Amino acid sequence: MNDIAFPTTNAIGDLVRANFPASSAYIINGILGIAAVLITVALIPVFLVWMERKVAAHFQARLGPMRVGFHGTLQSVADGLKLLFKEVLKPAGADSFGFFLAPILPATASFLVMTIIPFDHHLQVTDLNGGVIYVIAISGLSVFGILLAGWSSNNKYSLLGAMRSGAQLISYEISLAIIMLLIVLVSGTASLREIVLSQQGTVLDWWIFKLPGLGLVAFIMYLISSTAELNRGPFDISEAESELTGGFTTEYSGISFSMFFLAEFVNMFVAGTLTTTFFLGGFLAPQIGLGTVDLLFDAVPGFVWFFLKTCFIIFLFMWFRWSFPRLRVDQLMELEWKVLLPINIIVLVLGAIFVAQGWILP
Amino acid sequence: MHDFLFYGLAGLLVLSSLLVVILPNLLHGAISLIGSFFVTAALYILLQMEFVALAQIMVYIGGIVVFILIIILLTTRLGEESLAPGPGQKVWGLAISGALGGLIFYLVIDSIQPENVAMQADEEAGGLEQIGLRLLDTTSDGFIVPFEIVSVLLFISLVGAVVIARKDK
Repeated sequence: MNDIAFPTTNAIGDLVRANFPASSAYIINGILGIAAVLITVALIPVFLVWMERKVAAHFQARLGPMRVGFHGTLQSVADGLKLLFKEVLKPAGADSFGFFLAPILPATASFLVMTIIPFDHHLQVTDLNGGVIYVIAISGLSVFGILLAGWSSNNKYSLLGAMRSGAQLISYEISLAIIMLLIVLVSGTASLREIVLSQQGTVLDWWIFKLPGLGLVAFIMYLISSTAELNRGPFDISEAESELTGGFTTEYSGISFSMFFLAEFVNMFVAGTLTTTFFLGGFLAPQIGLGTVDLLFDAVPGFVWFFLKTCFIIFLFMWFRWSFPRLRVDQLMELEWKVLLPINIIVLVLGAIFVAQGWILP
Repeated sequence: MHDFLFYGLAGLLVLSSLLVVILPNLLHGAISLIGSFFVTAALYILLQMEFVALAQIMVYIGGIVVFILIIILLTTRLGEESLAPGPGQKVWGLAISGALGGLIFYLVIDSIQPENVAMQADEEAGGLEQIGLRLLDTTSDGFIVPFEIVSVLLFISLVGAVVIARKDK
């Protein structure tokens, strides 16, 4: 039934299938899908850097970038080009292999996760049955890039930053995984597409509101843990510039640095898309139960809603960053192990009771 | 096509596993360990065991290698010559690994029978749902008791971590 209301094929894929034999069409469609994700990965940071600078500026009653293009829209393009042409420096005594491998890993991890995100019911490279497990498994990869960068830079600030960041990422991963488990539990599936489709109906059927109270708590927990997992303020102790100069990126310059920078923003986008998928109904239009408004909202394509919701989540991340002071290392660990983890375990158990009692319709 | 992929992946697996033991720098060894685990996951996907492949990446790469890396980073004298094995250790290592390798080889050759050759799994045998149902099966075919024991153990360790973190107040 879901496949008829939400077909998995799109116009471009149909065009390829109509003009090529089945076996080569399969490969061509795969390549096209991956190329689309690659282009998205390359373009998203350009937009997000501009957005971050604008949001930060307006929070501080400034204007932000205004000179290049309309309201500074081309500023990040110019900055990106400048970074590309800068010299890549390698400190003496640094481990070449690790030093040049490290910047690639975080960007690769976020690209791999993007391949299974359902941007729309027909805009998804592939839908894994164990999509949530894939997300948990792959997002663990970005910690390698950071640990490797810190160690191979041959610099004490880099190593300290990397160790802090490693401990932080491993700790907060537990909370994230528990909340993902809760969503798998209540929706009865681990495929991202099916999780979105389990939220059909009005706005109140999204998982953030559908579980009485519990969904909202889980959503807030997920937001906090994602912010920490992204190494963003107020949890950016791994690159706390007042203590560690630049953390694990201290010794990086030029294209190597911009790879870390790019990964940071793509990661933020991926976190936004995952939050949207798990809690905010993904590509489904926000229906509020009024006939005409619902029809109007339904006419808007799903990916527009998806990007709007994701941008809202990203705005929340930026809001956090420019509103809260940075946490100390011990406070950060306390927050995870003494506050978030117990709450998350309780939320998971409550969710299990809800499902076992049949209070949530599948 | 599948044969070609299999031999390519198997060659990569042997190469990266060899690098794990041969490389003098421990950290480089750990990185090639990541590579070898990844190739193993790819082999599982070739066998249509999607869940096992994902579990392999999650448990081994996301968990175990991260801890190996952190321990290595906390070690001093990393990559110095003194870490390399002496001649006596090399002889013993060769003897033990040779004996073990011979035993495995013998057992594998011995077990290759026409009825033991791996066949293509039916569509959903390795799928998440099938594995979940099998784990929770209460008949003699299922794994409900080990599953429950393991989940209680994991839950205890999670709660234990919270308790330990709370203690030092």
